[in-house]
Amino acid sequence: MSAEAPQYVAARVQRALAEDERTHELGIRVDVRGDQLFLRGQVSCEGRRETLAGVAHEAAPELKVRNELTVVEIRDPREEESL
Amino acid sequence: MKTRIAAVGDIHLGEDVRGRFRARLEGIEERADILLIAGDLTRHGTVQEGRVVADELRGLPIPVVTVLGNHDYHSDAEEEISGLLRDAGVTVLDDNSTVVDGHSTLGIVGGKGFGGGFAGKCASEFGEPETKAFVRHTKEIAERWRVGLKELQADHKVVLSHYSPVKDTLDGEPPEIYPFLGSYLLAEAVDAEGADLILHGHAHLGSEKGMTPGGIRVRNVALPVLGRAYAVYCLDGCDPDEE
Repeated sequence: MSAEAPQYVAARVQRALAEDERTHELGIRVDVRGDQLFLRGQVSCEGRRETLAGVAHEAAPELKVRNELTVVEIRDPREEESL
Repeated sequence: MKTRIAAVGDIHLGEDVRGRFRARLEGIEERADILLIAGDLTRHGTVQEGRVVADELRGLPIPVVTVLGNHDYHSDAEEEISGLLRDAGVTVLDDNSTVVDGHSTLGIVGGKGFGGGFAGKCASEFGEPETKAFVRHTKEIAERWRVGLKELQADHKVVLSHYSPVKDTLDGEPPEIYPFLGSYLLAEAVDAEGADLILHGHAHLGSEKGMTPGGIRVRNVALPVLGRAYAVYCLDGCDPDEE
């Protein structure tokens, strides 16, 4: 049997992030390159960022998780749009 | 008369961020007459998260109207979450409408909406029962919105949705997932009866501004898209110097 294709690994991790009850995060980009797993996207706090990396690691323990997720920055609502 | 609408979606609250959203709403009554929230109030759709949302929105000095999003349905607790919100004074729309009196009357029609895709590249009510049920769900929602708009008596009309009615505001999302992000049937229904503005969320990677084929303005107010606590849209124009 050949090694699992990286596309399937990435898809499995992305599905885990969406379906695992600790995360339920959709829209996280997952890429596998060699022995590295890259996570990209935005989350709303540091705790959620760490939890996502943990769930990703469980789904693909053989890979080194590169956590490139960022915490979304929220500015004050200054500008208005006139319609 | 002008109406100032504050809008945001996809706030995804939970115990781990309790208190933060409320802090961002400080002083909102000086900027807006009403707050509209475009669904995905929670992350897992649990009753516990619903309580956090209700606590964050309770007692705001301006009316709050919301719809639910797909996340809010995940734990099959959408009715209980809606009940908690209503007890906190929030109006929850589920394919119905409400009218709020202010400087002028503002009518809001809405619900979560649903997917299916966009004209020419969408699912049809054909084939397996699962596919037909998916498409029929969107069709039924669109028809309820159309009837709601037709019957609505108000100076201004706004449609509040979670899913997107147009592709414009999905720009930035992978095109392969557009059918899961919205449906043109929603826009078609609104164009048939007319409205001043359509607000939606759901597409975190999308873009803020778009319009329907009929020329109605569409705004994606998902929090990651806005990058600010809420957007403010002024109907009938706003003079920044006017008080």
